[in-house]
Amino acid sequence: MVQNRNKLIELFVGNISNSIVHDILERSVSEEIVAHKYRKELITSLGVAKKYREKINPTNRPLPIRDIAYIRTKIINKVKTELMTRILKGYKNIDLPLIDNLVDKALKDANIT
Amino acid sequence: MEIIGKVSKGSKMDQIYIPKNRAGLAIGDYVVVKPLEGKKPIEKFYFYGIKGVEPIKLGIIKDIMRIIEKNIESYGNLIVTGSFLDEGFHFNDLDLIFVAENEIKTNIVKKEIKEKTGIQAHILTLNNKSLVRGLEVDPLYQMMLSRCIVSNRLVFKAKHRVDYKLLDLHLLKSKTLIDNFDFLSGNEKYDLVRNMLAIWLYMNGKKVNKEIVDREIKKSLGLNDINKLKQNMVDKKIFLKKYKLMYDKVFAKILRGIESGAKQE
Repeated sequence: MVQNRNKLIELFVGNISNSIVHDILERSVSEEIVAHKYRKELITSLGVAKKYREKINPTNRPLPIRDIAYIRTKIINKVKTELMTRILKGYKNIDLPLIDNLVDKALKDANIT
Repeated sequence: MEIIGKVSKGSKMDQIYIPKNRAGLAIGDYVVVKPLEGKKPIEKFYFYGIKGVEPIKLGIIKDIMRIIEKNIESYGNLIVTGSFLDEGFHFNDLDLIFVAENEIKTNIVKKEIKEKTGIQAHILTLNNKSLVRGLEVDPLYQMMLSRCIVSNRLVFKAKHRVDYKLLDLHLLKSKTLIDNFDFLSGNEKYDLVRNMLAIWLYMNGKKVNKEIVDREIKKSLGLNDINKLKQNMVDKKIFLKKYKLMYDKVFAKILRGIESGAKQE
């Protein structure tokens, strides 16, 4: 199926955000059994995002600065919204300051930056 | 006919147990008992939630047991589970769980299984405490053990405990389906749907096994045949509408659980 670039970016953002939310929640739970099990799932979520990245041009070098800024902001907002929904319900130990670092790392790993 | 048995200790007399379902060696027959020489045989398996598997698969399991016995010195139990035990040959990989207190090096086993059987093994090692903990809080662990083959009888007592934060993590996996419907295969979709509905049943205090979850999938998502989902033949628009509704319902219940938990603290 042919998908346009904007759509692919949205899909990439959605999946990366999901994996970052997962990472942060997993840290807040700190259950040995969950860490064990979820490492596999995290790879899956990240894996889907990477597949989308492979289809976003340019594929072999970082994206233009305006794309990076857009993607970064979008991911941060999505992750924050997801986590805030939980914090408002009384979920504790969620480390919000982690978001920026995790997003930057994910973008670097995916060859976005 | 020949059966290999193990002498076990009895109170007044020692004994050798043989399977009730057997061809030959009827009650009252006289038999010769003599020691088995040579290599230690693969002992029998215990089946949970399945009546039996195809002889070829049983052969594969025996091959795997031989590989394990050759490479791993000690472990408490070996659990074979997952799609490998479903009828037919549509399995993706082979899920093996070692229950062991010591660290187990699984790389060699994985490699040899691949070489000998051509099957990709996914191996987890858990100690007994983690397994019981998993069974207490994780519907997928319950599902996994509701249908498995093990090398030793399963003996444990796990309480049913709903940990909403853990279920929240589990549910997040199923969110992938909403955005990636076109990207995912039928089996991946089924996996994500099953995860969500196992959580739903678990939260509502219901028993979780493959049959019950499949029934719930049909009921909640209006499917008359689960294979339609596995074969990626569902109507995207209709399916996603129902899926999103169900996802929101499950997530809302989890958030309510987290909220009431926070109030109690």
